[in-house]
Amino acid sequence: MRTTGKTSRRIALFIMLSGLACITTTALICFFSGTDCNLLLYALTPELLFNIHLDRLAAFFTALIGLVAFCCVIYSLNYIEHGGSEKGRHILTALLPLFILSMIMVVASDNMFGFLFFWEIMSISSFFLVMYNREKVETQKAGIFYFVMTQFSTLFLFIAFLLIYRYTGTFDIGYTEALPQVVKSFAFMALVIGFGTKAGLIPFHKWLPYAHSAAPSNISALMSGVMLKVAIYGLCRFAFDVLQPELWWGFVLLAFGTVSAVLGVIYALKEHDLKKLLAYHSIENIGIIVIGLGLYVIFNHYGLQTAANLSMVGALFHTLNHAVFKSLLFMTAGSVVQATGTRNIEEMGGLVKKMPVTAILFLIGSCAISALPPLNGFASEIMIFQAYLGSFELNNPVVEIVMVIGLAAFALMSALAAACFVKAFGIVFLAKPRSREAGKATEVSLGMLAGPAILALTCVVLGVFSFQIIKGIGFDLPVPNMLPVSILLLLIILVFAGLLKLFHVPVRTGETWGCGIQKQTPVMEYTATGFSEPIVTIFRLIFRTKKSNDKEYFDSAESITKRTEAKITTFKFFEERIYMPLANFFMKLAAFISQKHNKDVETFILYAFVTIVLLLVTAGLWL
Amino acid sequence: MNWNMILYTVLNTAFVLLFAPLLVSLIKKVKAMCQGRRGTPLLQTYFQLFKLFKKEIIYSDNSSFIMRISPYLNIAFLLVASIFIPIVFIPAQESGFGNIILFLYLMVCARFFMALSGLDAGSTFGGMGSSREMTIASIIEPTTLMACAAIAFILKTTNIPEMFGTVLDGSILQYPTLFLVPSSLFIILIVETARVPVDNPETHLELTMVHEAMILEQSGPKLALMELSYGIKQLILMALLINILFPWGMATDATAAGILISIASFIVKALILAVVMGVFESFFAKIRFFRLPDFFMIAFFLSFATIVFELLS
Repeated sequence: MRTTGKTSRRIALFIMLSGLACITTTALICFFSGTDCNLLLYALTPELLFNIHLDRLAAFFTALIGLVAFCCVIYSLNYIEHGGSEKGRHILTALLPLFILSMIMVVASDNMFGFLFFWEIMSISSFFLVMYNREKVETQKAGIFYFVMTQFSTLFLFIAFLLIYRYTGTFDIGYTEALPQVVKSFAFMALVIGFGTKAGLIPFHKWLPYAHSAAPSNISALMSGVMLKVAIYGLCRFAFDVLQPELWWGFVLLAFGTVSAVLGVIYALKEHDLKKLLAYHSIENIGIIVIGLGLYVIFNHYGLQTAANLSMVGALFHTLNHAVFKSLLFMTAGSVVQATGTRNIEEMGGLVKKMPVTAILFLIGSCAISALPPLNGFASEIMIFQAYLGSFELNNPVVEIVMVIGLAAFALMSALAAACFVKAFGIVFLAKPRSREAGKATEVSLGMLAGPAILALTCVVLGVFSFQIIKGIGFDLPVPNMLPVSILLLLIILVFAGLLKLFHVPVRTGETWGCGIQKQTPVMEYTATGFSEPIVTIFRLIFRTKKSNDKEYFDSAESITKRTEAKITTFKFFEERIYMPLANFFMKLAAFISQKHNKDVETFILYAFVTIVLLLVTAGLWL
Repeated sequence: MNWNMILYTVLNTAFVLLFAPLLVSLIKKVKAMCQGRRGTPLLQTYFQLFKLFKKEIIYSDNSSFIMRISPYLNIAFLLVASIFIPIVFIPAQESGFGNIILFLYLMVCARFFMALSGLDAGSTFGGMGSSREMTIASIIEPTTLMACAAIAFILKTTNIPEMFGTVLDGSILQYPTLFLVPSSLFIILIVETARVPVDNPETHLELTMVHEAMILEQSGPKLALMELSYGIKQLILMALLINILFPWGMATDATAAGILISIASFIVKALILAVVMGVFESFFAKIRFFRLPDFFMIAFFLSFATIVFELLS
């Protein structure tokens, strides 16, 4: 029974792989040839259609989804077989293609009805996937949180789409001129909130760390790598294509992006749950992408075509790059979590010797996300930098100064990201194992290495050949050619390594120097908390760090300590000041209403009925 | 890549490799003299590197490949970065070389791997060094970028050789706002080369445990590579400061006489700057670690002010 279950899951996953390969190839052909692909699937009414339209933007996102999902399915071949019940694994295998397909269909849809339909399928299937380990209290909390936030997002999308429909009279996704100024602005804000919630823009981000850490790692990889990008696609499509952007939108996007990028990485620094740490970095990277989109609007308005192109291509290139390295990081983190049985990085350590391949793959991902040249993370961030530095041509001192502040924040974010990944890689993989479980970890199986390995290779290729790729798709932008730099780097490394080989330098191993201690133990190593402590102290205004050190003494001279309690507490601003008060308000409201009537099923059905009738009447009158 | 560029790369790299250790010893000598000592001979750093290259390598039992590759990566990143800073002559434009952001990030790369190697052996020294280094890095990098942005805004280019060329062609008096940049560049130079008042290059003991603590576990030729890359980093940052402010004497094409004059004039300028750095270091005491952001803020606001003046003028 067990083997047949495994075989059927394998077959299902292999079918998925071949399907994804076809979809990715088609999308790539569409993207590079520039020919659009149209297909009508099913017409519910003449207005409400399920149809596919792949233009270059949609094809780009489809290819991105296809590539990441492909690697993720390879990873799942082995990953799914660990943990969970037989039934649970079947459900996971069944929901996975539904989730992937719904994301592709959202991107490919050419009708707002189809877009929303698949958007909802995407939300609901991902909700069930997050709830995979549903017996854990933590997962239940994360799942409900995610569900509420995802419906919140859909609500605002509904508002935006209905506003557009009200003035254009069609559900087709296309350029609309008919919208009055005020309505356009309202629609834009609704889109930012709707898509921003799904993408994890601060302050709508709080579901992200919970849901990503509760979900199985292959699902976290898909959610962070791909689902957030679907929201970015929506923002690009509707804000820039359907509605024509205005100048102030650029500043709104720039502000949201900068706040998300900086706060995302600052929160990541103090996080010691490996998957939550990565989730906060997703917020940061979504921030970078939105900064790029915002810059595009601003530069486009002032007619600086090169800078506008730089920021738009930079934003989209970063979307692809983030999808690649973040899913790589989530998958390798999943392998680590599976091997050690914990998500707390303080209990890991020394894994570089137990899981060498995973370590190298994670290192490549870390370098890419820290924007180290010549990898892909840098290739896209430099475009944003170049766009920022191009702002001296604006001839508008106020805007230029805003840009300079944005630039400083961007540099801060980038430097903090590097610090965070030195911590993540250093504490998880280096030195001695910090717990018994970490000491017993073993390397994961081939499938769980092959999936991330493809992505790691993609990271290198997209970085080293970034200049050629950007040129290849038809943009001539002032970005440095990374190929000669990479060749020289390799050359110098080889020369020095060769020199040392040539002289036969004797090598031996010994103990770490510890000022004469007898034996070094893991307790003496630097911890993740210790590592990030200086940064937490410097940014204490943001963390609201409070340090307390209470001591009680036996004697009046305070020399013999009875009891000591030292605490470092940080304040979760968004959770304690925004989310919980709102949630509490609704809980109280609900409690108040439920007191006022008898709670039987009939009453609720009546409520639902009355609501639907009211909705239909208003919709009929208004639309 | 044309022959001109290859000639430039070889000459510039060779000059950087040969000259960097001298500046390290010179600053030490100046500091010793300020303290009333005679100090080590000027060639001491060369002797030291030579000695280290002959020694054996000892790795910690706990260490991994990170420890083994990071010296190579360090020197490779910094040498490639050094190509971005023309010293021997200003080469013609070559795509891929000279972008100021790429230059800064190559140095970030070197730092990233150095910090990882600090954590590798599991020693508390290394961990503390890495933690502090990354903390300092995360506040100095926005400052560095601001200073570079200020230069880029004033000279209207992001290409370093072009910047040098622009200042060389005109006169610095054409760019009065440029006079504000050197002080922030100087602070950045002090921070990046781990000098007093931020760190102390002489020791790895508690108060200063930053740069020296990270490379504590390196030995033999690997340590030599680390020391050499430290020297290179110092030299190229000095060269950036010197050539933005006083590029006179630099050749714009590859003639033997031109190259000799640029090298000679650069050596004179670099020696003066090294003496200034040594004296500056002697007059300061170490700042408390958590007071460092205030020090960096000076550089940050100077750069910010430069940009604002430039935009309003």
